[in-house]
This record gives sequence, C-alpha cells and structure tokens, in this order.
Amino acid sequence: MSGPRSFAQKLLALVLLAVLAGCGSAPATNPASNANSTNANSSNTNTAAESATAAPAEGSGGAATAAPPSGGAAGGDVSPQETLVFAADLSDLISLDPAVAYEFSGIEVVGNIYQPLVTLTPGDKTIKPLLAKSWDIKTTDNGSTITFKLDEKAKFASGAPVTADDVVYSWGRIIDLNKSPAFLFTDVGGLTKDSFKAVDPQTVELTLPKTASPQVFLTVLSNSVAAIVEKKVVEANAGSDFGSTWLNDHSAGSGPYVLSSWERNTQNVLDANPNYWGTAPAMKRVIMRNITEQANLQSAVETGDADIAQDLGREQAQALEGNPDVSLVQANQTQLEYIGMNAKIAPFDKPEAREAIRYAINYDELNTLLAGTGKIVQEIIPDGFLGYTGETPFKQDIAKAKELLAKAGVADGTEIQLTIGAGIATGGLENATLAAKLQSDIEKTGLKVNIQQIQASELLNQYRAQKLQMVMLSWGPDYPDPNTNAQPFTDYNAKSIAWRNNWQNDEIAKIAADAALAPTNDQRAALYKQMTERLFHEGPYAVLYQPVRTYGVRKNVSGFQYDPATTPTIFFWTISKS
Amino acid sequence: MTRFIIQRIIGLVFVMIGVSIITFALSQLVPVDPAAAALGQNAREDQIQAYRHELGLDQPALVQYATYINRLLHGDLGTSIRTRRPVRDDLRDFLPATIELSLAAMIVALIFGIALGIVAAINRNGILDALARGLALVGGSLPIFFLGLLLLAIFYSRLRWLPGPGRLDAVMQPPARVTGMYTIDSLLAGNWATFKNSLWHLILPALTLGYYSTAMILRMTRSSMLEVLHQDYMRTARAKGLTEQVVILRHGLRNAMTPVLTTVGITFGSLLSGAVLTETIFGWPGLGRYATASAVSLDFPAVMGVTLVAAIVYPVANMLVDIGYHFLDPQVRLS
Amino acid sequence: MALSQDRVEAIITEERLPVAQRWRLGRAFRQPAVLVGFLIFALFVLLAVFAPLISPYDPLGQNVVDGLKPPSAQYLFGTDKLGRDIFSRVLYGARLSLLSGVSVVLLAGSVGTLVGLLAGYLGSWADQIMMRITDIFFAFPGLILAMAIAGALGPSLPNALIAISVVTWPVYARLIRGQVLSLKERDFILAAHTLGIPEWQIIWRHLLPNTLAPLLVQASFDLGGAILSVAGLSFIGFGAQPPTPEWGVMISEGRNYIATQWWLATIPALAMLLLVASSNLLGDGLRDLLDPRLRDR
Repeated sequence: MSGPRSFAQKLLALVLLAVLAGCGSAPATNPASNANSTNANSSNTNTAAESATAAPAEGSGGAATAAPPSGGAAGGDVSPQETLVFAADLSDLISLDPAVAYEFSGIEVVGNIYQPLVTLTPGDKTIKPLLAKSWDIKTTDNGSTITFKLDEKAKFASGAPVTADDVVYSWGRIIDLNKSPAFLFTDVGGLTKDSFKAVDPQTVELTLPKTASPQVFLTVLSNSVAAIVEKKVVEANAGSDFGSTWLNDHSAGSGPYVLSSWERNTQNVLDANPNYWGTAPAMKRVIMRNITEQANLQSAVETGDADIAQDLGREQAQALEGNPDVSLVQANQTQLEYIGMNAKIAPFDKPEAREAIRYAINYDELNTLLAGTGKIVQEIIPDGFLGYTGETPFKQDIAKAKELLAKAGVADGTEIQLTIGAGIATGGLENATLAAKLQSDIEKTGLKVNIQQIQASELLNQYRAQKLQMVMLSWGPDYPDPNTNAQPFTDYNAKSIAWRNNWQNDEIAKIAADAALAPTNDQRAALYKQMTERLFHEGPYAVLYQPVRTYGVRKNVSGFQYDPATTPTIFFWTISKS
Repeated sequence: MTRFIIQRIIGLVFVMIGVSIITFALSQLVPVDPAAAALGQNAREDQIQAYRHELGLDQPALVQYATYINRLLHGDLGTSIRTRRPVRDDLRDFLPATIELSLAAMIVALIFGIALGIVAAINRNGILDALARGLALVGGSLPIFFLGLLLLAIFYSRLRWLPGPGRLDAVMQPPARVTGMYTIDSLLAGNWATFKNSLWHLILPALTLGYYSTAMILRMTRSSMLEVLHQDYMRTARAKGLTEQVVILRHGLRNAMTPVLTTVGITFGSLLSGAVLTETIFGWPGLGRYATASAVSLDFPAVMGVTLVAAIVYPVANMLVDIGYHFLDPQVRLS
Repeated sequence: MALSQDRVEAIITEERLPVAQRWRLGRAFRQPAVLVGFLIFALFVLLAVFAPLISPYDPLGQNVVDGLKPPSAQYLFGTDKLGRDIFSRVLYGARLSLLSGVSVVLLAGSVGTLVGLLAGYLGSWADQIMMRITDIFFAFPGLILAMAIAGALGPSLPNALIAISVVTWPVYARLIRGQVLSLKERDFILAAHTLGIPEWQIIWRHLLPNTLAPLLVQASFDLGGAILSVAGLSFIGFGAQPPTPEWGVMISEGRNYIATQWWLATIPALAMLLLVASSNLLGDGLRDLLDPRLRDR
C-alpha cells in the first residue's frame, strides 16, 4: 500500500509548506522598527511634573506649512516620522462632542482638538490664558462677574476667528444637551443660559451666583467640556441634538488637531490643524489605537508598532525595564480608592469602630501589592492638588484596632458586609483582589468580613440609597480644584459621598466651604489641612491609595507630558520624534 | 428547491420572533436601571428620567416590545444605550469584521481539517494518524482563549513573525468600504499593500478561532474516509488503473464529504461563540466584542440586535449545508 | 392478538438486554486511549474530592511577600501576585470545574430529556410546539445568550451554569425525541400499550431506560464542552468572580503574565486541557461501547 501513503505524505508536505510560507514572508509587512532603535536619547522624555508650557506660543501665523488638508477621510500621506501612534485602552469612548464627552479617553481626544478660554499647564496650579487673553473678576452683592477678553488671533480650523458668539453658543449647548458633564455648569457653577452673554465680538461676561467661587469655576472652565466649538459649523450640522452626533465624526474646534476619523472600537485619527493659530505641532498625524489587552500594549511599544503605550500594568512595566528602546514614565493620577463606612449602620455608628478599620489595614503590604501602580494616600485630596498634605497617620496596629473595637463595644466575630464593584479597581488591580487583601487584614481584629461583589451601577444605586454598610470604590475629581473632592466628602447636604455614608459633621463641612472661597492659595491650603486632619479621625473613610499610571514611551519620542489635572491630560502637540 | 427555501425562511421568521421574545424577557429581568448605569456617578435624577423616556424605558413592558417589533419591521433596531448610536449603525460597523474572521477560520478549518483527515485515514494507525488524532483531541479540549494568548505571545511578542492585535497596522488606512471586509475591499480597490496587511492580521485570530472546527472536521473526515476507502467502488476505481490521487480525491473524498458537511454546519454555529473570546484577545473590532461590552453595560437594545443577527447565522448555515448535500448527492431530497 | 404477560415481559427484557450486555468495560479499555482517558479523569475526580486534604495551602490564603514565585518544592506550581499557591488553587479549581460540568450536564440533560420524552411520546401539536422552541434555543449563539443571561442575573458561577444549561438542553431534547420516536413504534412499547400499562409507567420504565445509552454518550462529550464554556464565561468576567479559584478566572488573572510568569495562566490551562481531553476520550470509549454502529473504525 505504498500508493496512498506517499499521497498522504505529499498532502502533508503541501500543508506544511503553506504554513511555512505564511510564517516566512510575514516579516516583510511587519517592519518591527528596529531601525529606529539606534537613537537611544533617553533624556528626551519628561515626567509630567517637570514639563514645559503647553499653551500655544505667541508666535503668530505659525500655521503648518505641510499640513494635510483636513477632513479627507482617505487622508493624505504622512511620513512615519511625522506620525505618532498612541496605544491605549480607548473602549470607554462614547462621544467626541466636548459638551458630552466625560470619559477619560474622550477627554484625551477632545482636549487635543478643542480649546477652552483658560487652561492649566502641567505641573502648575495657576490658571493661564488660552482663547481668552485676559479676564477680570468683579465681586458683586449677588455673587461675581467674570469678563473675558478673547484673543483676536484665535481662529478655528475653518479659518474663521473665535468670537464671543461662539463661546456663548458652546456653553449654552452644554446646558441644552444636559449630558453627563452638564452638572459642572448647572450644579457646580449654578449657571443657567442667562448667566453668560456676549458683550462685543471679543468680550464675554459670565455671572456667577454667591455659592460658586470664581477661582474654582475658572478651573471648571479649563475643562474640555467648556471648550469652544464653531457655532456656524455646528449649527449647519445640528440635526436634532445640537450637532452632537455629527461631532463624533467631524470636528469644529480651534485646537492643534482636527478629527480625521473615528473607527469605532479601533482607532481615532487626528490630523494637524492646517489653520492652527499657535505653533504647528511636529506630529502631523496622531493615531490613537485602541488596544485593550495589557500584554498587547506592551508588545505594541516593544515592537515599535506604537510610539507611546498608555497605562501599562506592573508586570508589563517590569518586563520593559531596561529595554533600550523604551523608557517608562510614571505619573500620579487623581482618583482615590477609598473605603466608606456608613455612620448610621452598626458598628460604624461608633467613631472608634471606624478608626479601628483604619488601623487594621496593612498599608505596607498594600503598597507591595500595588507595586508601583498606586501610591498610598490617606487623605481625601490627591497628590497634585492644592491642599494635599502628604500625611499618613495610619499604620497597621492590630492591638490598637482591637482596643478601639472593645471600647466601642463591638463583639468579637461581628460580621461586616463589604460591598465592591465588579471588575478592576483604579490602578489595575482586580476589585476582588484588593478586597480580599482588606478582608484578611480586617479579620485580624476579630471582625468577620463578607465580600459582596455587584455590578458597579447597582453598587452606585445602593450607595446612593445609603444602604451599604461598608463600601470600597474610587472617586475621581471633576475639575482641577480641591473643592471637587472636599465638598462631596464633607458636605452632607450636597447628597454626595458624605451623605451616602450617612455622615454629617457641619463643622468640618464649614471648613471645607470656607477653604473653597478663601482668596489666596495659602489661606486655602491652610484650611484644607485643618479639614484633612479632622477628617482623618472623625470621618467615615479609610482612604487607601491614588493610582499611578505608567506610560511606555519609545526613546525617539520627546516632549511627552502627562498631567491628569489638566485638560486634555495628554498633549500631542508638544511631542516630536527623532 | 424554491419550496424548500421558502419553508426554511418561514421557519427562520418563527425562530427570530422567539429569539426576540426571549431576549426581551431577559432585558426585563435586569435588576439595574440601564439608563442610570449609562449616565454614571454624577447624573441627576431628572437626567436619568429624561434618558429613560428617550429610550422608552418608562413604558410598560408590552408596549416596549410592541414598539420594538414595529420598529424592527421598519428596519430599525433601536438605539444602543451605551454607544448612543442606532444599533443598526453599530452592527454595520462591527458585523463584517466578524464575518471576515469566521470565514477565514472556516477556510483554515476546511483546509487543515480535510487534508489532515485524509492523511490520517490513509495512514491509519501510523504515526501521522496518531499525530493528527492527537491534534484533534487537543483541539477539542484546549480553551481557545488560552490558545489565542499563547499564539500572540509566541508569534507576535516573542518572534515578531506576525502582526499584533487589530485588523490593520495603525498607520494603514482601511480600504474604501464596500463589504466592510478589509481583505475583500482592499482587493476591490486594487490595493495590494492593504490586502497583504489585512491578511497577515487575520492569520492568528483565524487559526485560534478555527482550531476547534479543524479538530471536528479532521475527526469527521478521517472516520468517513476510512469508511469510504473500503467501499467496492474504490476497489473498482483502483482496478481500473486510476492513480491513487485520482481515486482518493475524485471518488473517495466526494463520497466522504456528506458527513463532513454536516460537521461544518454544526461548527459554524459554534464559531460565533468562539468569536466572542477570540475578538477579546485579538482586539478584533467585531460583533463578539460589541456583544461583550453591551452585555457588561446591560445595553439590551444592542444585545438584542446582536442575538437577532446571530440567530440568523445558524439556520442559514444549516440551510446552505442542506443545499450542499443536494449538490454533492442529487439523490438527497430536500425536505 | 392479545399477548400473554410473559411474552411481553420477554420482549421487553429482550429489548433491554442488549444494552446491558454491552456494558462490558473490558472491551472499551482494550483501547489504550480510553484507558488513559479513564485514568486521568479518575485522577482528577480523586484530586477534586480530596482537595482539602491534598492541597498544601489555603487556595485563598495570601502571602504578598511570596508573590509570583516560580514552581519550586515549596510551591509546586508557583504562586500568583497575591502569593496564593497555584497548586492548591488548581486543585480547588478541579472541584469547581467538575462540579460545573456535572451540574450543566445534569440540569440540561434532565430538562432536555423531559422535553424530548414528552415531545416524542405525545407527538402531534405538543411535539411541534416543543420542537419549535428547541429550534429557537438552537439558533441562539451559546456564549452570547449566556452573556445576556449572566448580564441580566448578575455575573456569578451559578448564573453562568444556568446560562450554559439554557443553551445546552436543546441538544438533549432533540436526541431523546429522536430515540423516542423510533422506540415508540417498536413491539415492546406497542405491547405495553395493549396491556394497558399506564402511560407514565411506559415512559418511565420502558422508554427512558432505552434512551440511556445515547444520553450517556452525549453527556460525556458535553461534560468537557460545559467545562470549557463555563471557563470561557469566567474568563471574560461573566462567570465565577475572583478570587474564586476557578480555572477560567485563573487564566484571566494570569493573562498579563504569560510572557514573564508563564505558570500563572499555563498551569490551569493545562489542567483544563487534561481534564477535558480525558472526558472526551471517555466519551469516545463509551460511544464505542454503547453504540457500536458509530464506532471509530
């Protein structure tokens, strides 16, 4: 039977050949950019804090000379040297309309396309001009008025100048659309559509009620939500939703980039704005690539498929350490992971019981577990914000915790329900992993901890209804001012975090409110310190950590900066490649 | 033939109604308010109510269902709660990627499954047979999400022979949309570079997704070839002095194909489930990932859209298989 | 043509005997693959049952200082990032996986069998309705329906089991219905009717036992399939939740370490491969044993 055998061998050989052919010629299309790796100039990469100014420089008429025409879906050819590939998990993208986008990725995209009147630059806590060249704050009996003078050089990607009319229209849209970020205007600012008006084409007047501090609201105005869209263009494409749908695939801003395409779930392509009124960005095209698996993010920056990879896990960062082509940049984020204890549900109605929890946690081991993906913080204001003290009064002390529990009359073996959300905690650890760590710590005091894991949205429902005994979750600031944390964490009447934990202390809330309105930064910081120190022992919280984000950046990339407290957090226009 | 197809289509409509009722009933079981979930931490009650109203969630369940069906008949699949776009647009964006991947996986499975099945059958009880059967056993037992991770780790991260996640390199522009399948569209546009790139991107996910089907087809081909090889007509063919190739390919394979076809029909249904896992690992922007993200955020309009589309696949695949029988062996009556 | 009671009994036993006679394990084990399958499967069952005795550590016990240790004498399969012993976790995972597989097969098998029996036996419109319902569930892509169910009910292992069962039962309904349809016309059932044996008794004592063989074969194949499906659901977050030592969860937790700390994901994956492959081999053996017509020549 040699016939069939030999045929079988031929067939097998054919299949193997096909496989080999596949593998053999593959590298042809995959130019793992080893060619670039010769340039190992590591000093190029800045950490967030030491970065330079991000606002467009004064240089007038610096419009791009070789910029591709915008809007063309096919896109002109841009050389790889002038193309930046930015890899990140972008699966939270929902909208690219500045008045709607309120997701981390959305803000990263929007902030590179649109500009607000004022801005914060990385590492600096003072408000700087952007579309507005100056402003003037007047305090009145009913509150305050801010008068903005627009920069006459500022123009949109269409070439048309940015006018007061555009500003009023853009802010009005936020209130009309009433989407996720609208509360910043309606609640934080207490604004209605009548609160702002165009005085002349270069002047906008904003009236704030007494409850809102103008300093604080200026930081709100530096957010991407308050960025300005071109009224004429958006109105022409308004549809039934003020142009929101249209803005997902087109742009109408004045920033350094224009939106070229958004391929859902795949990537966003930004091209340099040919009419940009600031200095033309070095990167003519930015491709924001959606990569969700951590291991794939690492490979992308390792192979050079991506120039920057955002949010590497600890093991990815470790694997990249010492890589000659990639440098690692770490930056604090601004969220806080915390435990909330309901002050009306026993045993946490006793302050001693809450204090015992704070002493039960082993922060050193927590730090080991975080392994660089988070920084231990025990106060409610994150590092990077005004008023952060850096104090960490708590260390694990089981004896003391037991003593406190005894003092509060809490029996050994008392059961506590710890509720956590499904999925990942800030920084990248599984919620369940983190909770398991806390459970084993707290149980050393004799308490018994039951972990209940539910969908994040369901958790929020129950938390809002003040039903949770003990909860672990994160809080992210809404605008770059400490009031964004101080108020919800202290003010029971704001119906936010303090209320959800059934905790009311009007004295501490008063300190926080005064801190928001105090005129100078020094006075504010002093008041926040006072608030923090009382909150440590009287509050219903055990703050755990602040996540730290790691970026993998190819060594030929320079000018990379990241600051979570600013819009857009990441700045493509300062980046260049060698 | 026409009558057969009409019968099947009536059956399909019936299935679709059932599928929509079940998915809808499921959406009513959700303990969480999807509108509140979609709007996040800072949403005020009036915003949530407004969104509920916009989505029609404030209507009684039966009214919601009637509205849904009425819209469906007009080709409207509703609006996704998560992406806030018409589900139809989302499906149009994501479905072709999954079809492309599934077809590629099926091609992989057919080539490897049939070829190795024949090799194993001819080589019965030999080393090649043992290897092929081992391969089939592993294929039916290995979790494909692990296989995907492994292939990526080896061929992309370590060896760098094949490209990483996604359908194209980042710097490549997708071809002008005709079918939404990059390989086909780039060929239609005559763009070789894009075609090659999209093909390379397909290899690992297609191998991962196709492995299970390969195993099934291999097993079926082997056992059905073994049966055929000993039939009289094979002996006759050999006696006529035809070469072994001709005997096996023309007479053997053709007759062995009927049960293999059945397997293809059955595994095609399983491809979609596999696609969910494969797409997650390979960052493939298809229906599976869309379904996962939608289910996580309790976005039932989207989940319903996906299940309706997916529910068409299995009956249609089976119909095609039945028609295939008819062509392989015209004596098989369609019923 | 009344048959005597004896005659009927004889026919009935005759019909049942061949199945019983085929229960000779020796024949199946003559195939080495089946023997190996059986041994591995039995080993997993033993390990799972005695997991608390065998496992050197608490599968949930953390020891952060000893995190990410490679396999060694101290930690046979190494540790994960919380310093949990992978060996102990794999052992408890075997428990969960076997339990999951068996529960799905039992749940889906009993529902499917019930529907199949009734549909096949009652025939006419009842059959029509039940089979159309089966068609609907067949058309659902398994994992997507399971995700929807898990989404609606909340992600947990029991809900994942319910979800997988919901998409598995139609297979049994169809299988049993086919069996019943062919058995129904056989002499011994007709004879039982003539004797006036109550219907439920005919179903319970005469139909059901004769469908057991194909049921068992199907179940042994589905066992592996169910284990894979449950793990798949857990992998994408719709099944067991961390820190549960479920294999799908473990692979998911280890996915980021696959290049650096290979043991985290690879060991549970290998365990799953072995268990599922052994149950498939057993299925092959059972099929050869019980249904010689289908035997792999």
